[in-house]
Amino acid sequence: MTELKYIGKRSRPEDGLEKVTGKARYVGDYYLPEMLYAKVLRSPLPHARIVKLDASPALQVPGVLAVITAEDFINHSNFGWPVKDAYALAWKKVRYIGDPVAAVAAVSEESARAGIQAILIQYEALPVVSDIHHALDPDAPIIPDTDAPGTGNLTNSHLVRFGDPDPILENCDVVLEETYFFKHQEHAYLETEGALAIPEQDGGLTVYANDQSPFINRDNLVTLLGLPVEKVRVIQAYVGGSFGGKDDIGYQSSAQAGALALKTQRPVRLVLTRTESFLASYRREAMEIKIKLGASKDGELKAAKVNLLVDSGGYASMTPLCSWRASVHAAGAYRYQAVHVDTKSVYTNNGYSGAMRGFGNPQALGAIEQAVDELAYQLKRDPIDFRLQNCLTTGDVAMTGNTVNQTVNLAECLRMVQKRSDWDRKRSLYASNQTGNLRRGIGVACYFHGSSLGGEGADYATTTLKIEEDGLITLTSGLTDYGQGSRTVFMLIAAEELGIDIARIRIMRPDTQTGIESGPTVASRSTMVGGNATRVAAQRLNQVLYWAAAKAFHCQPNQIHRQGDLFYSPNEESLKFDEVTSLARQMGLSLYVQGKWQMPIFTWNFDTGTGVPYHCYTFGAQVAEVEVNLESGRTRMLGVWAAHDGGRIIFPQGASGQMYGGVAMGIGYALTEHFSYHQGYPQALNFHDYHIPRANDVPPIDCNFIQCDHVDGPFGALNLAEPMVISTAPAIANAIFQATGKRWRTFPLTPQVILKGSDNPDLDTSNACKKGLGLA
Amino acid sequence: MKIEFILNGKPTKVEAPEGMNLLNLLREQLGLTGTKCGCDTGDCGVCAILLDKRLVYSCLVPVSQLEGHQVITIEGMQTPDGRLSDLQESFLRHGAVQCGYCIPSMILAGEALLLRNPNPAREEIREGISSVLCRCTGYQQIINAIEEAALIRQAKLKNQPEKDMERAND
Repeated sequence: MTELKYIGKRSRPEDGLEKVTGKARYVGDYYLPEMLYAKVLRSPLPHARIVKLDASPALQVPGVLAVITAEDFINHSNFGWPVKDAYALAWKKVRYIGDPVAAVAAVSEESARAGIQAILIQYEALPVVSDIHHALDPDAPIIPDTDAPGTGNLTNSHLVRFGDPDPILENCDVVLEETYFFKHQEHAYLETEGALAIPEQDGGLTVYANDQSPFINRDNLVTLLGLPVEKVRVIQAYVGGSFGGKDDIGYQSSAQAGALALKTQRPVRLVLTRTESFLASYRREAMEIKIKLGASKDGELKAAKVNLLVDSGGYASMTPLCSWRASVHAAGAYRYQAVHVDTKSVYTNNGYSGAMRGFGNPQALGAIEQAVDELAYQLKRDPIDFRLQNCLTTGDVAMTGNTVNQTVNLAECLRMVQKRSDWDRKRSLYASNQTGNLRRGIGVACYFHGSSLGGEGADYATTTLKIEEDGLITLTSGLTDYGQGSRTVFMLIAAEELGIDIARIRIMRPDTQTGIESGPTVASRSTMVGGNATRVAAQRLNQVLYWAAAKAFHCQPNQIHRQGDLFYSPNEESLKFDEVTSLARQMGLSLYVQGKWQMPIFTWNFDTGTGVPYHCYTFGAQVAEVEVNLESGRTRMLGVWAAHDGGRIIFPQGASGQMYGGVAMGIGYALTEHFSYHQGYPQALNFHDYHIPRANDVPPIDCNFIQCDHVDGPFGALNLAEPMVISTAPAIANAIFQATGKRWRTFPLTPQVILKGSDNPDLDTSNACKKGLGLA
Repeated sequence: MKIEFILNGKPTKVEAPEGMNLLNLLREQLGLTGTKCGCDTGDCGVCAILLDKRLVYSCLVPVSQLEGHQVITIEGMQTPDGRLSDLQESFLRHGAVQCGYCIPSMILAGEALLLRNPNPAREEIREGISSVLCRCTGYQQIINAIEEAALIRQAKLKNQPEKDMERAND
């Protein structure tokens, strides 16, 4: 790889200064004159019909200025994509504990709370669906509206059809058949969801939101509030973490605050409490994954059949797409002769599920990477050696039947973590007889992750660049940054392409009035799609400047060469960047450009389960070393070694940060983050019940990138963010197997699981829920 | 009730309801929004501030206990002429900042640690910041940043050149 001037060099996060000084303003940090506080009345029941709803008593409470229900929106506040089954405020029935029913705006938080308590609401409790296995029973209570897709409680189904695995499996020397379980995972960003809506003089609305995609938010507000698109402006405030979690819930909160602001003609701020965030927002899908996997006795993987049963909860949200991503990754990053995958997602009354970092792949790979390990064990093979024999390499056919033509460095990643972790020595050391209560083990898992949206939809982004009168260059992107560092990445790409110092570039906050719609900021697509759009914009700006310089030098634009800040003519005359800019201005050339980039088109046929799911993939491997205390059941992490094949690294500290953060989230998923439901009642209501890793739970993490220039990436870069979380949990489960000789095939592997085999608290949390929702 | 205390080095007089906690006093009444609310139940630590140089959760401190005490928030970490503190600089250098929501209290956690233990081992740093949750960073670059700031402070005491102390491996 050629060395670049800015890209790949140590740089500071673009908005770091505001963050280390405490000056970055998040939604909850805005206090405006006349600002009102909103509070939402939420369902304390998992499934019920709303028999009576009289919101007017709230208005009698001192300080309450407005109250709204579903009837205050167009079409009963119905919204949602890809399935339009959600509501800004529930209509006719509630489907989970925390489902919003009404909202008030008041002069203080206390008045707002008293306001929601005054609302008269009568529910008729309905039978609850909490067990995914019974959601499709003929006599199961039906959760969705009748016009929802599928039949009964079926949210969606997916399939993958590559060859015919059945006859191959019949002839395999070894066949493994196992089922793996995954509970929900909560995003647990430290900043809860919120929105600040400000009514404008023209009857419109400006909304500051900590949402995933301001343009989707704007379009929802337009639809739900009946405003013309030019009168709704959404500005992204600083976002205190998202991980996929501020999508639908962000739009729902914005719509509630927006309607209240229009009604009161005063600014309205809604910020969820932590318990509301736990109960009312969505989380990673719980899943049950059945795998049948066959290999020959010399260790060649032959065929796989995978069945996924996915808990969508009360609404569809992103489950139809998460379950698709899970489906097209479910047999892992290996060569097969045939693979079938069959997936069903079902409605239940277990909260609701949606997008979270990895988007279905942590469950899919979490299952297959345990299964592959089990098969390697049966064949008495070293787990890394077995994976090296079967893993995808350049030009191989993936589990979905498509050929992977990009450079694949998965084997290099496996060898890297093998070497860095001292695998061979530790693996044999821990295989020898261990005695006492403390048992050690080391395990591995690898991953592939389809880049960007893939078959989920059109995949484009637009960046604008403008040279201002003061010589600074402003950059806008329709994509957003919740802390993952994409803004710094865009600035580095622009600086590299334009040949100017990064200090000359300033990036605007995402704003629907200044940026250009670029699709959602999801699927780890910013670096590749947004980065390419930025590069295209910078190239277009360069064209203008080359044209101006050529005119000054009396030569052709293609005769000019650049060095840093300077433009050179064929006779080695030179002009500075600012001089060329002035010339271009004098010539009347526009110094504002847009750059759009779209992923190459490819097709996945959802009906036949065949085609090309993604244009390209990232790959990687992780090793985890653990110590299990057989007496307490606790697992202590000793180390994690990670290697990622994601093309060229643009912002090294940002990239490492993604890896460290992803691994930590994976450790929580594997060991402590326990989010389950009992009869629709959530078993975790706050950080007291739900344990995300603290600094002393996370071991040293060894971070490695196998870099190469990927043809389609900006300066050779692919994606980060999501892939980092995928392998940690199965690597830990595989390490725990070496330490204990046991497999539980479930996450999280809490002390109760290690000691008793299962961890189902089955608590009646109804009173705690009422209290947490401000109803008692 | 009337309270007098030292806030970021300045004697401060406030009138606040007795049941109010320090977090709300700082944010709602004094306009210091650098201190964040993450749970309001004393679990997450993103509201942590320094009370008499010790790290405490401001959501658990009733204003009635403030009389005569010294409070430092993130707004008090820069030097009077606006320069960043060594920890703030170090956090930036190491890219220890992602969403930024926990960062004010992480910097104060680092400060509290270095005040009581100027030369901490990595494991002591890990323990020292364990009362503040972060969901983005996996803590490693934060630990690197605090470790480096400690080394620079030590070097300054011994009059060694700062440059040699900077570590590059993030």
